[in-house]
Amino acid sequence: MSDSTDTAGRNVTQSRRRFLALGGTTAATALAGCSGILSGGDGGDGGTGAGAGQISLSDFRGSGPLVAQRDAPGGTSIEDLPDLSGELTLYLGGGEGGLYLDLINLFEQLYPDFTANHRLEASSDLANTIIEENEAGASPADVFMSIDAGSLGAVANAGATASLPEEALSTVPEAYQDSEGRWVGIAGRARAIPYNTNQISESDIPSTVREFPEAAALEDSMGWAPSYGAFQSFVTAMRLIRGDDETRAWLQAMQDHGITTYDDEFRVSNACADGELTAGFANHYYTLRVQSARESAPIGLAFTEGDAGALVNVSGLEIIDGTDSADLASNFVRHVLSAEAQEFFATRTFAYPMIPGVAPVGDLPRIDDLNPPDINLTELADVAGTVDLLRDAGVL
Amino acid sequence: MGTKDRYERLREQATTSERDSSPNTLLAVVSLAISLLLLSPLVWVFIRAGEIEFARALELLTSDTTVSVTLNTLALVTGVTVASIVIGVPLAILTVQTDLPFRRFWTITSALPLVVPSYIGAFAFVSAFGPRGVLADLLSPLGVEQIPTIYGLHGAILVLTLFTYPYVFLTTRASLLSFDGTVVEAARTLNHTRWEAFRRVTLPQIAPGIAAGALLVALYALSDFGTPAIMQYDVFTRMIYNEFGARRLDYASVLSMLLLVMALGILAVESRLSAGRDGAYVSSGSRRPGRIRLGYWKGPALLFCGAIASLCLVLPVGILLQWLLRSGTGYSGGGFSFEAAYAWNSVGLAAAAAAICVVAALPIAYLSARGSSGLSSLPERATYVGYAVPGVVLGLALVYLGLRYVPFLYQSVILLVFAYVVRFLPQAVGTTESSILQVDPQYIEAARSLGYHPLSAFRKVVLPLVAPGIAAGAALVFLTTMKELPATLMLRPTGFETFVTYIWLVQGAGYYGQAAVPALVLVGLSGLSMLVILRREDTS
Repeated sequence: MSDSTDTAGRNVTQSRRRFLALGGTTAATALAGCSGILSGGDGGDGGTGAGAGQISLSDFRGSGPLVAQRDAPGGTSIEDLPDLSGELTLYLGGGEGGLYLDLINLFEQLYPDFTANHRLEASSDLANTIIEENEAGASPADVFMSIDAGSLGAVANAGATASLPEEALSTVPEAYQDSEGRWVGIAGRARAIPYNTNQISESDIPSTVREFPEAAALEDSMGWAPSYGAFQSFVTAMRLIRGDDETRAWLQAMQDHGITTYDDEFRVSNACADGELTAGFANHYYTLRVQSARESAPIGLAFTEGDAGALVNVSGLEIIDGTDSADLASNFVRHVLSAEAQEFFATRTFAYPMIPGVAPVGDLPRIDDLNPPDINLTELADVAGTVDLLRDAGVL
Repeated sequence: MGTKDRYERLREQATTSERDSSPNTLLAVVSLAISLLLLSPLVWVFIRAGEIEFARALELLTSDTTVSVTLNTLALVTGVTVASIVIGVPLAILTVQTDLPFRRFWTITSALPLVVPSYIGAFAFVSAFGPRGVLADLLSPLGVEQIPTIYGLHGAILVLTLFTYPYVFLTTRASLLSFDGTVVEAARTLNHTRWEAFRRVTLPQIAPGIAAGALLVALYALSDFGTPAIMQYDVFTRMIYNEFGARRLDYASVLSMLLLVMALGILAVESRLSAGRDGAYVSSGSRRPGRIRLGYWKGPALLFCGAIASLCLVLPVGILLQWLLRSGTGYSGGGFSFEAAYAWNSVGLAAAAAAICVVAALPIAYLSARGSSGLSSLPERATYVGYAVPGVVLGLALVYLGLRYVPFLYQSVILLVFAYVVRFLPQAVGTTESSILQVDPQYIEAARSLGYHPLSAFRKVVLPLVAPGIAAGAALVFLTTMKELPATLMLRPTGFETFVTYIWLVQGAGYYGQAAVPALVLVGLSGLSMLVILRREDTS
């Protein structure tokens, strides 16, 4: 499995490079830059930032059992981008979003003239704050970096965003950016089913979420985290696809089937590894985190298909309206979508990279092999209706 | 001081009403101004609620969910308050009035749980007593398959009680310390049994102290979000938080209004209970009663103190140490290095909040303790409303109002400290007021008949006597400010991190190991200020 993934990764990497060569602008520099970074910066002297020689790809890349033997990432290298310079105020979605600080620190090391002030809170709280600030006339934020498309959509729908650079939007598949270009995905988060491999095998897990309430093997042994943003986005997606009545019926059926409530999906995933649960509903990377921390833990990961259960939500970026650092903000967005930064998301946060040149870790299916539902992620902003429904169904 | 002056004063003293009115009017104006300023953020609740259609508001207020969540909240508040009295009052009596061995040690361990943030306490209890927790792991080799769940009402009551009962302990203890023990001995000589003496003499004297502590506990339980959320028990704060998450601020504000009504209800109950506090003054209580000999009860008493200390202190610290030792989070690397500046930020904010609270509390407490009319305790009552407002409601209110009316203060330390003062002033008012109540009013009259201006009489006579109470209030505000999370998150300047914002961040990302050290340091630092409270109290 991992071999075939690697092969696929290489293929995509190569075609990506071909695309760059056809693009023609600085094809030779791009390749040289890429190899320069790979060899620790010895060969890359393209006159980029003063600190460039001290930061190499290995600084962006994680380590550990899931990150062994990866190919070089494809895509636009940082060395081909203009230097970051100046001061930027970032509102950063909390939780796992905190890990993005590592990336920002790397940028600050790379560019001594670049400083990023950051404000870390839950993504939905920051979205509320930005909307309030925007209504009052001015937000101190230049860029909002959120861990879910719903929060990005809410800010965009409130008219609080400025336009993103075309160079950044063009590298990301259309499914993972706003149709009006108001926000762009930077890392993918797939809905998945963590399960205890001692209690159940992958074939016992239904291939659509619709079938879960009838799965005898999972009776009274599943867990979910309904107050968690990622779960609410999943329910929002189900409402968009199947309507409120069917969604309510599904929630009801799951409760009748017997399901335990947790605070967050990391706990759900850990409970699966502990044998407290047979299976659960959680984002994919929590299972990888558990596997990485506890190598012998009996936890596996399954994906469903074609329905809300296969939703791929994104972490993303948007530039806030009224910023007086629009150029720097645009350049920053391009940096976050560079080959190195995408390798960071793939190997350190176990997220799905958003540019085709970078492969996901381990034996995760490629993002193209997932079968996500056909919905507009901006519509995930309707959290209010979902909270009503969850409450109505007695889940919250 | 001329003869004319002195004559004026004598004339003033001739009629009681005239004598009291002039300083009281000034006090009343100052106190009222302070309490209005502190309540001003609540305007936001009404502004937002005004944006909602009446029919929808009514529908929301009378929905089944609202009703059941209201009942849940009342059950939680009642349970935590009663349990805190059941734990706090006996501990206070044991450490003040009996020959309990190591009384000093138990005094400290009984007060210290207040320094543990309740959300950290809740995490510790889930880690220890949750399914697959430490206890379950210990018991499973013995064949115990399942332990009773920690989640739900009883878990929430347990955790909130263990980390808030010190309010009752401290206020009851203060009443006991200032209480004239010879009265009890007199009662005993009149052939009252020990229990009768306690019920008829001691209890009425310390009841206002108990009520003051219970009020703080009840309002804390009403406003806490973290513990019920972690214990998976649905209460008002959680519903409000979900509404905020869903970006429906108008509905959230309607719910916030309902929560304020509940706070007012608690205040009304408390003021009825402590109505008899005019009689609370007892001549300065330096005369301690003879220690009650515990005899056969020494063992059970020690067991009780030890059990509470183990649950409140040993357990959370043990879990934090376990976080520290258990490595591996599933991520390589980690950019969250703790910086010393975060500690200084926390300490600086807490010190500023404590200083401002002490100054603002003084006129309010004095008016309430010495005022001539029932209205004089209105400002004092009003300050408690702020204490009941959940941090997240206050945070959003100040974001909204700050941006519109004082944009230069938005995301400034000033607005943040203001939020702390709104939330925590009542703690300073409470301790200051109870120590003012214990100063014999005749001292002031004596000083004034010697020709002192009322203000200087206050400064020279009252202030030194109430200083320990003020210090205790300052320390309480300091402690609670160090622990405060939601308002700190929302109002702090960008890039300005504190202990709790750092702990929240690394904990949220699953870096429990990195949360452990700052959490232990936070507990330790707050613990030091708790020692200050107790030390001052002893030398007074």
